[in-house]
Amino acid sequence: MTVKIRFFAQFRELLGTDIMTDVAAGTMFTSLITSVAKKNPEGYAAIFDENGAFHEFVILMKNGKRIDNADAARTAVMDGDEIAVFPPVAGG
Amino acid sequence: MIAIQTDDVDIGALIASAKKQGTGAIVVFDGVVRDDEITEMELEAYEDIALQELEKIARDATNLFRLLHVDIIHRIGRLLVGENILIIIVSAGHRTEAYAGSRYIIEEIKKGVPIWKKELTKEGGRWVPGEHRHGQPKTE
Repeated sequence: MTVKIRFFAQFRELLGTDIMTDVAAGTMFTSLITSVAKKNPEGYAAIFDENGAFHEFVILMKNGKRIDNADAARTAVMDGDEIAVFPPVAGG
Repeated sequence: MIAIQTDDVDIGALIASAKKQGTGAIVVFDGVVRDDEITEMELEAYEDIALQELEKIARDATNLFRLLHVDIIHRIGRLLVGENILIIIVSAGHRTEAYAGSRYIIEEIKKGVPIWKKELTKEGGRWVPGEHRHGQPKTE
């Protein structure tokens, strides 16, 4: 199945965006982002702490709905999902 | 008009169209690129989601403050010092509701609408930290 990953702002600069990736059924949100982020150590460190957990300030979305960082490890991604990962917003 | 766009807008025309039956006050908020020793500002949005959230903020503000009209235009792309970033125009029967509605809208945008700003300088660039750090206290 295929999932679209979108990073924004500095995360986009470090990891790219609109990444279409094939994932196995049952893949969890956190493990998917971990595997993609590990392609760039700086990008990984921007998103995850030394224990492999999302930094508290990182914001996660699945199909436009926010996912609590603590729930991401047990949130499965599904075929066609759009996953977004971004830093605190700064509009206005 | 609720929009995320690269183009600027005619604020005068928006004010004219904000005058509805019953309007007694119109408040205009115009956020501009400040000269913080930068060359340009680059703005980025998660556009689909940001637009939905701006529309919800406009609906909520209308209901909370009995607004007669709301425009929110947030620009993205590269902007020069002095250019408009965000224009909010609200129309209400009285100034109290118009000021409160305008203030509510800008504060809600800063809390959660997925838009980011990068200040470009001669040395490179720096992302503007958000005011609401998703569980962490503001650091500046």
